[in-house]
Amino acid sequence: MHEESDSALIARAKKDPDAFGILYERYVGRIYNYIYYRTGDHQDAEDLTARTFHRALRHISRYVDRGAPFSAYLYRIAHNIVANWHRDNSRRQIISLDELIVGTLRREGPASLTEELEEQNMLLQVVRRLPPERQQLLILKFVEQMRNAEIAEVMGRTEGAIKSLYHRTLVALREEFSTAQDGREG
Amino acid sequence: MNEERRKRMLTTHPEQLTNGPEAVQRIDTNYEERRRAAALLQLAERLQQSMQPVQPSADFVRGLGRDLVDRARRQVRLANRLRRAALIGAAALGSLLSIASVVGAVVFVVVRLRARAQARAVQAPTG
Repeated sequence: MHEESDSALIARAKKDPDAFGILYERYVGRIYNYIYYRTGDHQDAEDLTARTFHRALRHISRYVDRGAPFSAYLYRIAHNIVANWHRDNSRRQIISLDELIVGTLRREGPASLTEELEEQNMLLQVVRRLPPERQQLLILKFVEQMRNAEIAEVMGRTEGAIKSLYHRTLVALREEFSTAQDGREG
Repeated sequence: MNEERRKRMLTTHPEQLTNGPEAVQRIDTNYEERRRAAALLQLAERLQQSMQPVQPSADFVRGLGRDLVDRARRQVRLANRLRRAALIGAAALGSLLSIASVVGAVVFVVVRLRARAQARAVQAPTG
């Protein structure tokens, strides 16, 4: 495990290519997870993760350490790249790997498992329809299992604002999810 | 229901889900509050189950890592070359300026000396 701080690595990365490699290894998993849960597709997640790190590398020489975590910078780049991707793909029908798996299980799997997977898939689809910052909050909280204070640092907000946003997000998600369930049953 | 208490309970809940049963005991709520917030807590638990971390493929991580380090190397080399070129350019410009200023000074002295000589020639008595 590499112990060097992010700040030291960023300073070194401006002259030493290997330092950027260490930063990459430290954050690739998190950024991939974030993008995967925003797109729902492993191939797109790989493509957009690569773009995120390429952009970070291009701008690393101009990066100014203002005390915010480096992950916040990477999440911001990823957020912008995912937003552009959604805009570019808004007219294209995307069938994610998850949906394909559920489709296959629907035909082959036991009914209870299929139903559970369908519910899970539906919940994730509803999550993906939430505003980007709410999706980010849920991903950081549930996938990255960050505490509110850490989420606040990454999202550049106060801890109180994160608590309020989380509460509003759950309420909105419950309504959306109920509507989606009613639509499926009705 | 106390909105603040419910908000606090909901926001601490996911952390407690991942921190074991002793953390769950720290939830400071009564039965009524729990009942009213049950739907949201259930949704939070469902999210916890559905949003499990995924792993990128090892090939992808390795490949992208190699590509990034290669690009970083090229970027550093290019920056070094640009820095060296800027340094050489600045040095050349500095040298040119120094030469120009020496030439200027020589020309200035020569012109002054000539002017003084001409003035002396004009002032000198004739015959």
